[in-house]
Amino acid sequence: MSTLVAVRNVVKRFPGTVALQDVSFDINAGEVHALLGENGAGKSTLMKILSGIYEPTSGTIELADASYERLTPAISKAFGIRLIYQELSVIDHLSIEENLFVGSLPTRRKFGVSVVDSARIRQTALSVLARVGLKRHPATLVSDLSISEKQQVEIAKALASDARIIIMDEPTSSLTDEEVHHLFAVIRELKSQGIGIVYISHKLKEIPIIADRVSVLKDGRYVGTFDAKTTPPQKLVASMVGREIEHARPDGARVDQDQVVFAVEHLSSRDGRVKDVSFELHKGEILGFAGLIGSGRSELMEVIFGARARSAGQIELNGKVVSIPSPYHAVKAGLAFVTEDRRNTGFFHNFSIAENISILPFVKNTRHQVSLERLDFAEEKAFGAQYKDKLRIRCSSPQQNITELSGGNQQKAIIAKWLAAESDLFIFDEPTRGIDIGAKTEIYQIMRQLADAGKGILMVSSELPELLSVCDRIAVYKEGSIAAVLPNSEATEENIMHIATA
Amino acid sequence: MNMEKDDMTTQANAATLTAGTEQKAKLGLGTIWQKYGTLGILIVLVLISSALSPQYFLTRDNLVQVLLQSSVMTLLACGVFFTILIAGIDLSVGSMLALTGMVSAQLMVAGMPFWLAILLGGVLLGAMLGAINGLLVNVTQLHPFIITLGTMAIYRGLTLIISDARSVFGFDPRFSDIVAGHILGVPVPVLIAVVVSGFLYFLARFTKLGRNIYALGGNAQAAWFSGINIKLHTLMVFIISGVCAGVAGVVTVARTGAAEPNAGTGFETFAIASAIIGGTSFFGGRGAVTGVVVGGLIIGVINNILNIMNVQSYYQQIVMGALIIGAVTADKLFGRKK
Repeated sequence: MSTLVAVRNVVKRFPGTVALQDVSFDINAGEVHALLGENGAGKSTLMKILSGIYEPTSGTIELADASYERLTPAISKAFGIRLIYQELSVIDHLSIEENLFVGSLPTRRKFGVSVVDSARIRQTALSVLARVGLKRHPATLVSDLSISEKQQVEIAKALASDARIIIMDEPTSSLTDEEVHHLFAVIRELKSQGIGIVYISHKLKEIPIIADRVSVLKDGRYVGTFDAKTTPPQKLVASMVGREIEHARPDGARVDQDQVVFAVEHLSSRDGRVKDVSFELHKGEILGFAGLIGSGRSELMEVIFGARARSAGQIELNGKVVSIPSPYHAVKAGLAFVTEDRRNTGFFHNFSIAENISILPFVKNTRHQVSLERLDFAEEKAFGAQYKDKLRIRCSSPQQNITELSGGNQQKAIIAKWLAAESDLFIFDEPTRGIDIGAKTEIYQIMRQLADAGKGILMVSSELPELLSVCDRIAVYKEGSIAAVLPNSEATEENIMHIATA
Repeated sequence: MNMEKDDMTTQANAATLTAGTEQKAKLGLGTIWQKYGTLGILIVLVLISSALSPQYFLTRDNLVQVLLQSSVMTLLACGVFFTILIAGIDLSVGSMLALTGMVSAQLMVAGMPFWLAILLGGVLLGAMLGAINGLLVNVTQLHPFIITLGTMAIYRGLTLIISDARSVFGFDPRFSDIVAGHILGVPVPVLIAVVVSGFLYFLARFTKLGRNIYALGGNAQAAWFSGINIKLHTLMVFIISGVCAGVAGVVTVARTGAAEPNAGTGFETFAIASAIIGGTSFFGGRGAVTGVVVGGLIIGVINNILNIMNVQSYYQQIVMGALIIGAVTADKLFGRKK
């Protein structure tokens, strides 16, 4: 077997962080090389270096015979490296064959002008579609295809432009079992044609079935390369998550096991993303939700908050059944939702800090949904001053526009609006994403203080160390339901990942 | 470890501080422009006009005339303003003006007391037409541009059908005497425009409804997650626009003494222009009723002075077009919109 691409001792630094630290990785012709690692381990950075989007800080990339300090997108493309993203990039309103040649339509001369060579397009399309086993007419609109078929179009597109290496990022994340089998058949076919495949996945059980070798990245470092068929999954998990620093963990002493402040029973969503979820939250407790990205944790929180349609189940807050058909009712009932996407669902860019905070108590403490009641500017000012001090929001004044703050301070202002509304149950969805370490610690402290004050806290996070250091119990979420609930004393990164990926 | 953390916090503090002062200096100019920019344009225009034609422009009669001519447009613009504030638009205001005016006139001709005709045919019908716009936007989830482009044609068509494309006149003379009359020397249409825009200023600036509309315009998703009922507020916004158009419809009929089926044609452009020149952000969430009123007056003054100077009315359009582009460019230059 010949080596197609070899990455040697690559380092990639971003301001403030090291995304890749001395990583080496190679791909042979006719091989499936799996790449494993947690969120943020450096997989996508490595892929972007291979496709020429990022320039490595140091290290070399060897393509067949030539050695480069960096690839450009053009070099990468000319060599035949193709990336298939998890979010497919096919264009819905074009036909299959048009998608195959987007950006590089073959042309021929006719009457002295260059026209699209439709005969050649059709011919090539038929041959590549046969190679990926897609039994569809090339003129079919892509919008008429299933997700799995769209993926096949993506692969066919790579083949149509003479791919030698295809990188697949989480290709099975939205496929059914049957479609996964079909995809694997296609991958084996590509292997036999001498194409090298980089297979990025979280699903450990797929690794021995489809991959030949597996390399593991952890916190930007290269851990090792293993034989995919024989290495036990436990060993792979351990190498993905093992960390030197053990974080301080909550001891659970402040949790009152006899008092349930919040309970969800048999909750399901109409769109099927949340399936029969039940859990209880005790007084003084922070319940974490671990799981893979896309496992549906945010969707669960949206159903609880009334932002996503519910098909079954009930919610009890402090012993009383509450009806929450919309976020308005959630706010009225005393729920708070710090969403994961600050910019799009969190703050109002046209408001000052004080206005961003006061909007919530104003909405909550008004009798009707539409009201000509006068705004209480004195109260608004007081909220601004109070929470600027209380949460240490760093700003020149509460009248400052919120867009001028750093991410961490914006997040504090968002938390402040729910505090100002005197909420009883707080949902924190990825509360520290994109926030500097100082603000992170402060946010953890706020959460703990709220729990100690008897408020219920649910926390969704994709960072396991964070969950382990903040939460009293951790629910491991998988494919729309809770797979297990672990007390902090029994939870480790290894067993959480094991349950989440099983 | 501790030292490291302290170090980082200090650095972060320093960074926030520098960013703060920089932003503040930049904001200063932007804020001045945002608060007084349109007013400045108006003042400059009045000064230029006074210099160009001191004997005509600066007379009491002429200035009252400017206000009178701006009153209907200001009413429409204040309504349209709210729809732009939620990052939408209302193109149907001209047609609503015609339909409400026509129905009120027909009700009066049919013998209804004029005050009841104003309430039913003007205010209530305006509210209903606006509600139809809002409901259609909510149900179809299409952009208000599409919906109101459609209802603009539909409402105009209805006006032509119920009037058989003919003017309607011959109603209670007290109607025109009162609605188009004077109180203490001030034309009633001007007073109506002042009262309506004053109420809407209060609504936008001082009530929870107003605050929620700004929130919805700034970030609809965040508004939804903060418990603001988006559909209900969208409906309210279009009802406000409809009522404004209804009042403008009644005023127009009173001023001309007849309901014309083609009344208000093209007025939506002027109404939108007033809102935009007045500093309303097309992306939603920013703007004020005061700015819209000033924007309306700017257009009024320009038309007036060009008339006095005997400039062909075609040139007026060119001036207004240049003004729209100029005002929004100035906004962008001063960094008002991100």
